Amino acid sequence: MSEQRNTSEGQAAKRELVITRIFDAPRELVWQAWTDPKQLVKWWGPKNFTAPVAKIDLRVGGKYLYCMRSPEGHDYWSTGIYREVIPPERLVCTDSFADADGNVVPASHYGLGEDFPLEMQVTITFEDVAGKTKMTLKHVGLPESMSDMTNTGWNESFDKLAESLQ
Amino acid sequence: MSSDSLSATFAALADPTRRAILARLISGETSVTKLAEPFQMSLPAISKHLKVLERAGLITRGREAQWRPSRLEAGRLKEVADWLEHYRRFWDESFDRLDAHLRELQAQQKQQHRKQTREKKHVRTKKHL
Repeated sequence: MSEQRNTSEGQAAKRELVITRIFDAPRELVWQAWTDPKQLVKWWGPKNFTAPVAKIDLRVGGKYLYCMRSPEGHDYWSTGIYREVIPPERLVCTDSFADADGNVVPASHYGLGEDFPLEMQVTITFEDVAGKTKMTLKHVGLPESMSDMTNTGWNESFDKLAESLQ
Repeated sequence: MSSDSLSATFAALADPTRRAILARLISGETSVTKLAEPFQMSLPAISKHLKVLERAGLITRGREAQWRPSRLEAGRLKEVADWLEHYRRFWDESFDRLDAHLRELQAQQKQQHRKQTREKKHVRTKKHL
């Protein structure tokens, strides 16, 4: 049992995924492929999946809702909120599993592991490299103790405020 | 790591019977007959589920024709349970498709451009006549 606990602690420490790809296309085109729902459905999801639904409200605070369908016909919905929208350079959004109505659900809803964070953040940057596009994706699990972090932030601000008032 | 695509794993885990089978196999390798006991299912139906799990690399099965015990592939299951590994595969496979999409899109645009150029030339030729 204690061995299992060690493993999950190890996984908790490793909470970030970075993938870099070069696409032989100008970055405006790659940007559109991410932000135009008509294009996103053409590639969203693993091999042999289809994407029957993609709704995108492309603005800071706007929501997206995607659905991908497995070859067996199972639907997997995901949703999130855009945090940064800087065409054609940078896109930041949250990412969670969802139901068909866009409500956030845990990954266990789809039979996936318990260690999946409820909310993740995806940052995609697009760089022009001699007409091609270098795309870097960073996928980070937001810690469950997000409120603790926010508290720390507030405390620091209050400390600064207190200092300035002295 | 096995080269099975993520869709096979997704498909394998999407079914509650197959998840129950995996849970049973945690306590050790088991025959098809034993595995079928808690489910109101025929042996061929259970065998079908086992085939899906085997294809996804989640279990391996013994070679003995009669008994063919199923064994959990713990490493593979851990890989699937690890959310980072899950997403690495998800993105890799999606980006392969994005790459293909961008190629197709540009090929179409080129073709369109060529067609337009041809039409323009055609109009010019007509004017000259």
